[in-house]
Amino acid sequence: MSVLARSLEHEEATVASSPLPPSESRPAIQLELYEAFTQRGLSLVDVTWEQQRLHESRRWSVVELLSQVDFTQIGEADRHLVWNAGRAELTTKPGADRLERLADLECRRWQETNPTVAAIMQACGTWSRYWNEEEAHHETAFNRLSTVLRLEPVSDATFIEFRKVFPDDDMLRTLTLLAISEVVAAVDYGQCSQMVQDPGLRALFKQVAADEVQHMTYFIAFAKALVDSGAYKAKEAFAVAHLFLRDGGEVHGSKRERVESRDTHVNWWDQLEHREGFYAPDALRKKEQLIFHALKRITGITVTSREEVEDTWMDLVGC
Amino acid sequence: MPDAQELESYIRRKFAENVGLTEAELFSEDLSLSALITRSERMTNSVDLMEAFARTSNGLRKDFGLRVRLPALSLDTPVSKVLAVFMGEVTNPERKSA
Repeated sequence: MSVLARSLEHEEATVASSPLPPSESRPAIQLELYEAFTQRGLSLVDVTWEQQRLHESRRWSVVELLSQVDFTQIGEADRHLVWNAGRAELTTKPGADRLERLADLECRRWQETNPTVAAIMQACGTWSRYWNEEEAHHETAFNRLSTVLRLEPVSDATFIEFRKVFPDDDMLRTLTLLAISEVVAAVDYGQCSQMVQDPGLRALFKQVAADEVQHMTYFIAFAKALVDSGAYKAKEAFAVAHLFLRDGGEVHGSKRERVESRDTHVNWWDQLEHREGFYAPDALRKKEQLIFHALKRITGITVTSREEVEDTWMDLVGC
Repeated sequence: MPDAQELESYIRRKFAENVGLTEAELFSEDLSLSALITRSERMTNSVDLMEAFARTSNGLRKDFGLRVRLPALSLDTPVSKVLAVFMGEVTNPERKSA
């Protein structure tokens, strides 16, 4: 008998009279993480279990979804959407890798002075493994489609360039930026799902959009927990929102007259290629509304226009 | 209402304070915004730079009742251009008062 079997036998002997665990509710994102740690007494093991349950409930197969796509039904405009998506998704792995590293660094920085913030950081870093895996699905699905459809190949040089790991920043800024990045991605993919002709491709875009909404919700929850803790200031969330929403801001991506050239990392929204006569997702108003909603959730402050975002941010900054 | 020279010297001083460099460092070398971020120990990225602009603008509102809204500036913009943009805003008769 193996050591494991013996230990399980012992375990059975000691817990046989214990009640069965209560049936668990439907898996969901912990939206009130600060409260969960400080008032409901959840541990990191508890939070991680909830993350795992939700992840398992949402898993899907790239191979299966791709098998539903009728390649003969994908026109030129839809091919271009697929190609853009595949390239853009290459930048997510470095985002997740950076998040994991930064969250762990921040966790250790706070451990002595604020164990709750340390726990929030660790919960975030732990969750990044699920984010990374789901984004791997997106990247490989679209790039495999591009390959099968014989679209312009992504060179190894581009692949490596898009894998540059983002520089570190304040954690609340980082989480807000990631939440907004997911807003933009979710809206774009939602638009794509309405535009493409093939039902199989439509299902793929819908699934990826749903994933991005879930990621957005997670980032908002982690950011809110940091603000709730009092250790991070709302102005940082507003600064990032303003960066996106101001005139010529990031939300306009590669449609801007001038895109900042950086050698440190690649922002996917700056790399989308728009071709004359082809549909390109936009829906700026919808993106704005979702960003306002994210700010409300994270900071508790209501804003309803880009001008209000700027005014609120400037008020929070002070002199 | 302060004269243009007074406003310019105020903007120079406040901006230098907010980015954590001396006026001499900033303006005698006419640093680009990316060089400024690299040189300042207080700055991580362009969000910090935006905040320095905002603090300078808030100072103008508080001390002179002037409202400045800045456009997005690329990172290769020299600080002399930033100063010119600020001055254009505060001396523009069309601007909104705070």
